[in-house]
Amino acid sequence: MQRYCDGDAGAFRELYALVAPRLLGYLLKMSRERALADDLLQQTFLKVHRARGAYVRGADPLPWIYSIAHRTFIDAARKQKRAVVRVGTDDELPEVAAGLTGESDDRRDEVRGDPELVTATLDALAALPAQQREAVVLTKLDGKSVAEAAEIAGTTVGAMKVRAHRGYEALRRLLGKAARPSAGTEAGTETGTNAATGASKDAPKTAGGAS
Amino acid sequence: MSAIDELPQLPTPVAPPLSRLLEAELAQLTPVATRRPVRQLALLVALSLIYGAGVLAMLAMRRDLHELPMYWLAGVGVAWLAGFVIPVYLALIPRDGSIMPRWKAAGASAVVGAVGFLLLGLSLHPSGPHSTSLDSFNHGYGCLELGVATAIVPVVAGALFLRGTLPVGSRGIAAALGAGGGSLGGLMLHLHCPVTDMLHVGVMHGGVVAVAAVLSALLVPRATDVK
Repeated sequence: MQRYCDGDAGAFRELYALVAPRLLGYLLKMSRERALADDLLQQTFLKVHRARGAYVRGADPLPWIYSIAHRTFIDAARKQKRAVVRVGTDDELPEVAAGLTGESDDRRDEVRGDPELVTATLDALAALPAQQREAVVLTKLDGKSVAEAAEIAGTTVGAMKVRAHRGYEALRRLLGKAARPSAGTEAGTETGTNAATGASKDAPKTAGGAS
Repeated sequence: MSAIDELPQLPTPVAPPLSRLLEAELAQLTPVATRRPVRQLALLVALSLIYGAGVLAMLAMRRDLHELPMYWLAGVGVAWLAGFVIPVYLALIPRDGSIMPRWKAAGASAVVGAVGFLLLGLSLHPSGPHSTSLDSFNHGYGCLELGVATAIVPVVAGALFLRGTLPVGSRGIAAALGAGGGSLGGLMLHLHCPVTDMLHVGVMHGGVVAVAAVLSALLVPRATDVK
């Protein structure tokens, strides 16, 4: 960051290569739309570039850059009046351009872990209120401490703890709900894609069993 | 919750190449002066004190100055000065290794300052033979306006110094700048205004901090937010 502020364009490219994938992962988990996340990523780095004079030499730029990404996402969500794709019924299933990793649907199998389970969890995550979703993404998925997450989101440590806890509990409930229709399948009753999460019938069974 | 536990293990996505706009910006990249918080604080305090002293010189020192208890005059003066420096310090100086200032502490200092100076003015307001008493509470608005006008320099300087620094917490920081500036205004009124009515000293002098903090919190984030 210091070399970049001194006018070294190569240093910016290094910074981008280092930070952009992590930031894109965060923005993807928040927006669940690859195109939107890509756009927000570019906006974030443009803001970083324009505000680079605010950098304090020797400081860690990552929380600041994350905060800019957070703010960019919030502003975009406000503008669009929708931050996530919410799934109501099978008929309203969204066209998912790409998954969490940026892979297209036909390459989901290459993702480690159970892809349907991951999709079910991501759908449940998308159903959370934005603040709770962000708290879960930052503290649970991105591995930030509560203090770091609070700094990024511009809130207090206490509020972040509450949001993360409520988000996690809501996620449990959503995945639990998703598990019930699957249980019905095992009992021979009619079931299908879960209306609340858009998850397939196999995914919630595992998720519910784990919760 | 094994499902959510699996998510962090997913590989990080591949970032897209830089946009054309960013590439164009990089093509014209020039060195920039980075923020130096301590230097900015020193500059802001110096500028503000010079400006406050100038305003005081244009007006006049209070005529009952020599009649008032020295402990009150000096003690309250130091309190006003601390009320100016502490919020401004918190608004400008980040923790070691951080870029963003401590907006929570800064915001809290603004609230403490606003409430504290109101209570201080209501509870301690000694008078001398040459002190003035207002017939009507309404006549005191001039002090409020003068105090808020004094706050303009520290607030504007702080907003300029913090441009691009505050993606989050800008209202707390702005409130602190306003409270600091308002305290400088309060210090100036402390040395200028001979009115010693409880409500005047409490609400009009002490209230400068609250009014300046609120105005700053409403207006300054537009200038400091990362765009």
